[in-house]
Amino acid sequence: MDIGLSLKIGISGVRGVVGDSLTPQLAARFAAAFGTYVGRGKVIVGRDARPSGEMLENAVFAGLLAVGCQPVAIGVCPIPSVLLLTKELRAQGGVVVTASHNPKEWNGLKFLSARGLYLKASEVEEFLDIYHQGEFSFVRADRHRAVLEEPHPTRHHLARLLRSLDAGLTRRKRIRVVADCANGAGSVLMPEFLEALGCETILLNATPDGTFAHQSEPVPENLAGLCRRVREAGADIGFAQDADADRLAVIDAEGRALGEEMTLALAVKHVLGRTPGPVVVNLSTTQAIDDLAAAAGVPVFRTKIGESNVVEEMLARRAAIGGEGNGGVVWPAVHPCRDSFAAAGLILEMLAASGKSVARLAGEIPAYAMVKDKVPGTPGEAHKLLGRLRKDYADEEVSTLDGLLIQTGGARVHIRPSNTEPVIRVQAEARTRREAAAALARVKRRMAALQR
Amino acid sequence: MKLLKIGISGVRGIVGETMTPEVVMDFACAFGTFVGGGRILVGRDTRPSGPMIQRAVLASLASTGCRPLDMGVCPTPVLQKSVTAARAAGAVSITAGHNTAEWNALTFINGNGTYLDEFQGQAVLDIYHLEKFRKAPLSRLGRVKPAGCGLEGYLEALGRFLDLAAIRRRGFKVVIDPCNGAGAGAVDELCRALGCGLVPVNDEPTGYFVHEPEPRPRNAGEVASLVKVSGADAGFLLNSDASRVSVVAEDGETLSEEYALPLVADHYLRRDPGTVVTNSSSSRMIEDVAARHGVRVVKARVGQSHVVQTLLAEEGSMAGEGSGSVAVRRFQPAYDAFLAMGLLLEAMAAGGRRMSELAAALPKYHIVKEKVYCQPSRIHSVVAETRKLFPDHEILAVDGIKAERKEGWVHVRASATEPMIRIIAENASAERARDDVDRVTAFVSQLV
Repeated sequence: MDIGLSLKIGISGVRGVVGDSLTPQLAARFAAAFGTYVGRGKVIVGRDARPSGEMLENAVFAGLLAVGCQPVAIGVCPIPSVLLLTKELRAQGGVVVTASHNPKEWNGLKFLSARGLYLKASEVEEFLDIYHQGEFSFVRADRHRAVLEEPHPTRHHLARLLRSLDAGLTRRKRIRVVADCANGAGSVLMPEFLEALGCETILLNATPDGTFAHQSEPVPENLAGLCRRVREAGADIGFAQDADADRLAVIDAEGRALGEEMTLALAVKHVLGRTPGPVVVNLSTTQAIDDLAAAAGVPVFRTKIGESNVVEEMLARRAAIGGEGNGGVVWPAVHPCRDSFAAAGLILEMLAASGKSVARLAGEIPAYAMVKDKVPGTPGEAHKLLGRLRKDYADEEVSTLDGLLIQTGGARVHIRPSNTEPVIRVQAEARTRREAAAALARVKRRMAALQR
Repeated sequence: MKLLKIGISGVRGIVGETMTPEVVMDFACAFGTFVGGGRILVGRDTRPSGPMIQRAVLASLASTGCRPLDMGVCPTPVLQKSVTAARAAGAVSITAGHNTAEWNALTFINGNGTYLDEFQGQAVLDIYHLEKFRKAPLSRLGRVKPAGCGLEGYLEALGRFLDLAAIRRRGFKVVIDPCNGAGAGAVDELCRALGCGLVPVNDEPTGYFVHEPEPRPRNAGEVASLVKVSGADAGFLLNSDASRVSVVAEDGETLSEEYALPLVADHYLRRDPGTVVTNSSSSRMIEDVAARHGVRVVKARVGQSHVVQTLLAEEGSMAGEGSGSVAVRRFQPAYDAFLAMGLLLEAMAAGGRRMSELAAALPKYHIVKEKVYCQPSRIHSVVAETRKLFPDHEILAVDGIKAERKEGWVHVRASATEPMIRIIAENASAERARDDVDRVTAFVSQLV
């Protein structure tokens, strides 16, 4: 790993490599800056199951304590539970030690506001100013506190899920589920949640020790083992969470991974059927969402990539449902954040209410094929490249709201620098896989030619 | 003035000013890098800033690939004893001992359970200054493990070392004031183990210091009055990490903290006659006691590291300083207030004598102490200037200036822990001791 690229500080907080850029000193400095920003008071501190989480969590405690905050330790906890708890406990804010789907050498910090949401862009800017100025409001010895422990950090989240879903309906169907928690934070809530919904559950990788049994990004190529188990067990459905339990992938009864775009499409279809309202998704999300919304007669609003952009827009539009095509479903009825439990609950409820199989439900979603790829590139390189590419496509329909979105030959191609890794993501969607792949290949060839 | 004191045995500063998480982490990383892996015990006293510093230390040690054991609140002597019992590679004690509540400090302890020696301490400082901290890759990252503080094992060892039967037979009653520090609660266990009745004062581990956590007569008021009221056999006053002790006799007389070492020595040298190590500032009482037992006194520089390392090098019997510090090599090479209390009770049990009688058996000297704040950058040159004041004394310049004559001595030195000059005089005549200190104080104040 190139040391110059192993640290990312930005809208998603800070991410780095343990043993390299992500030192305890750095984590404590960020925590002290955050405590200075939100003011003395309760700050919730949770983490995903990565083995380095404990070390960094202690550094975060030190930074928060030094500026007079009251840290509340909740240990390994799904991200949506942390977000909701921050709001429910009326904390000043929250810090989550997580690197989402990054490889296990990575870890990072995400920062939450008192609303139980990720800091939005303007708040991140204010907070980073304090970090960079380095003037933290350290308190005198007599203002120091000790860390408090919250023994039941998921209880608010579970209660809210069961209240928002028609749990009775789902319970009666005794759905057979295979759930793969990727040895991540989802492990601490998934068994209890599925039991409350009356599912017959087989759990895979449900020890929250962060020894990722497979690459934790819930994309089809990482889910072979789960798919086999769903088939062998004769289950109705399979679920795969990512390491911090905000995203979900779905497997049908034949053991086929539906592709992570389908998670949101199913959830959107179901929610629009029970409580119609506006839909908000990001620019990269499948066009199937537009078709579903049109059928339900509700508008779709598209935002820049990034959970916090989607969530802020959802709040502004009073959206009924929204999210991202990477398996991140946001259902404000529970809490306005990506929530793999809300997604799983909605899809189970959809099975129960319709009496149809997963494959059948997926078949009813307008078919689009999406192909994704990434090429190495720093944000600087990406910026230059996108500028040149834009001129190349001067005659086509383009959007520069986030990276570059091109409508070309019946396909939608989106190119943008990643917020979390030094890569440029490229994806193309069309009616068929062949058309999408061809469009992606064309654009990648143009990019390669420009990069030379 | 920014107060941050960096020395071979650790770092000490004002919380929120100089003791920031970052300074703590850089030092802990330097120590973890120096130790290079293995188990490291981390304990603290009860100061409110302790949890912040402990978290910072745990994270840092883990990041260097050490395996930190979180022992929570732990008296330093118990922590030191646990190092060898747990086969740990070292320990960090988070305590500012006798300093007031706004201070805190890290003390580094090696795999033998002693303060780092000069060379080890220098190595840690070099790593700190170079900022060459070991960054363990994920596969070697340490995990933080919670652990008890090891008091049970410590008290067992203490029980084996003392004449427990004799002490228990006497059924002593004692008053102990652990100053709401790390000794709080632990002294209850100690008394249970020794079969003593305890009248506790400030015995809650809250870190709320009702008086300065320094064991000396002016802080011993509560203990002294309770000793008389309750008819106790002795009273003891501890500092915040239970490494030092001062004594109150059964008649309510508060003895100077200088008495702890000679009182214990006068008894213990009978069990193990051997060299006694002390510093140049401590009372002459110890020299008279050593002479009475026919053993040598060796002088070392001030501070636990120097004194205890000299004790080990000399293979001596015991060591200590006039601050109420006592170490016994065969028990553990560390200042230990629990051991000192145990040995004093053993002395009373063995000889069937009262504490006031043990004290009366020591020669009488008068000690006067004064301190003058001074900029750290000038402190040593100011100390050196005081040599002029003593043209007809024998001058020892090992640790500041010590001027000796037959009837007494004056010692002027830079404090190891705070930006101040300490002036100490001892004399057979109280008046002469006062005069000597006043003369130096006036001279130094003028220079400062």
